[in-house]
Amino acid sequence: MSKTIPTLSAPQRPSRSSSVRRLRLRLEHRSFRLLCASSAVLVCGVLLAMLFFMFRTGVLTFRDVPVSEFFLSTAWEPENEKYGALVFILGTFAVTGLTLLIAVPISLLAALFLAELAPQRLSRVVRPILDLLVGIPSVVYGYMGLTLLIPALRAVTGSNLGDGVLAASLVLAVMVLPTITRISDDALRAVPRKYVQGSFALGATRFQTVTGVILPAAGRGIVQAVILGMARAIGETMAVVMVIGNTPQLADSLLKPTSVLTSNIVMQLPNVPFDSTWNNALYMMGFLLLAISLLMIGVVRMLQKKGENAA
Amino acid sequence: MKWFGKMTTITLAATLLLGSYSGSATAAASKLSGKIVINGSSALLPLSLQAASEFKKLHPKVRISASAAGSVTGPQSVRKGIADIGACDWDASTDVPGFKKFDGQVANKVAVIPFAAIVNKSTGVTELSTKELQDIFSGKVTNWKEVGGKDADIVVVNRAFGSGTRVNFQLKALKGTDFISKGDNYKEVKSSGDMKTAVETTPNAIGYIDLVYVTDKMNAVKIDNVAPTTDNVINGKYKVWSYGYYMTKGQPTGATKAFIEYIQSAKFQNGSLKKLKFIPITAMKGE
Repeated sequence: MSKTIPTLSAPQRPSRSSSVRRLRLRLEHRSFRLLCASSAVLVCGVLLAMLFFMFRTGVLTFRDVPVSEFFLSTAWEPENEKYGALVFILGTFAVTGLTLLIAVPISLLAALFLAELAPQRLSRVVRPILDLLVGIPSVVYGYMGLTLLIPALRAVTGSNLGDGVLAASLVLAVMVLPTITRISDDALRAVPRKYVQGSFALGATRFQTVTGVILPAAGRGIVQAVILGMARAIGETMAVVMVIGNTPQLADSLLKPTSVLTSNIVMQLPNVPFDSTWNNALYMMGFLLLAISLLMIGVVRMLQKKGENAA
Repeated sequence: MKWFGKMTTITLAATLLLGSYSGSATAAASKLSGKIVINGSSALLPLSLQAASEFKKLHPKVRISASAAGSVTGPQSVRKGIADIGACDWDASTDVPGFKKFDGQVANKVAVIPFAAIVNKSTGVTELSTKELQDIFSGKVTNWKEVGGKDADIVVVNRAFGSGTRVNFQLKALKGTDFISKGDNYKEVKSSGDMKTAVETTPNAIGYIDLVYVTDKMNAVKIDNVAPTTDNVINGKYKVWSYGYYMTKGQPTGATKAFIEYIQSAKFQNGSLKKLKFIPITAMKGE
């Protein structure tokens, strides 16, 4: 076996030069391995260091603020020593939830169209376009939201500002649409053709085949797509901060200016005193965000493992 | 060999030129060396960068690095010893709304920054009194018709807590009265650029901004019948302006001292500083 991998075995020639060469090769392998290993350690180390640092600073919040106040109070008035982060936590979930509510059905239908209904030639054009859309910087989406979406929302709803959960969710939905569509599309195309043919052979209509066979078979991949879209929506900062209104108040309407974890951190961090409770509380919010997205990634990995076992 | 000869001539000429240049500029100060770190206000960063590049030509051995975040990071970095100069939009050696004074720091004036209250064109409002501004920004007055405009809700656009512009506007235009912080017609923006876009594009909006950001797509209102212009700041009629400060730990020394003196010099104040649309501190002598 080893002879078939020429890079790993030195030629069998008993000479001085060959032993030198073998030594050199071994040295090269060793150092290359070391380089790879240290790169891997570096990557993990950065993540761990970040988690540790965010937590270490964030947890200092609770020296001055009761845990219950931080998580359960909606009064965020740091200038008056009130550090309730519930507005931001709820805001983050509200915006993410509404984003998915808008984006998932559209993405799924688009993915179905690409994978099952569209002529090959069309999907071959549309897929690269979607891939390009994934790469557009979020600040561009935010700016579009600020200059196009918000005036439109004002005109349609008659509200004075237009900033709020609805505007943020619409911008984010447009942002995550390509992500969810492309990954769902891949999942749909991975469904074995024999399932589809079997369904047709049993006399099922196209609609019945899609809802009864293709969607369930691609279910796990679609859930992954949704979770990745969700992770992107939760962590998004620049696009959100431009259209959410940045006011720490509970949004009892979709058009009321409010704030989320990310937007509040970026709004306030440059202007808070170091080593203050305020600063620590912002770090705690950062840690919360990190924890939520790690949890998401963990869920994706679990689903992938289960998928492999089932196959 | 030919090009070598040419090169030597050029090098020689350059050395002579440079030598005579630095000799004629400041023979004693050119030996000045050291490292100056500037942090703090983003409003003052263009000024610091311009002064740094000019100063480095005079004193090549001095290394200057300037960066910016929020105003308060300036005096904080100085206190922590991270920075030699903390650029700040207010005098951080005194208490201001929201921030305690920084003991042991000296505030060196470097520029005059005027601010303007701005409204969206749709309001039709061009003049407001101090009292009216106070009532609008504290949420007591919520309709434009109460201050001479049309019948429409007032939309208040504010900067985030801790913004230097906000601190100064609150001190100088609102005489220290509080801002509202909640409501359907209230929002905060994170930078002067966002403030400009928000007030330009939001009907019935009011906000405030550095005078240099004012465009003809918005109304910069007269306050107590005085128009926000550079001239009115200099002649003392328009009160909504503040100094920009370089905070130092105690009196500045060495390279830092020379740099601050350079930025305060008439040459820089009346030249580059004016070009960057700040007002020279020397213009305010009659204050």
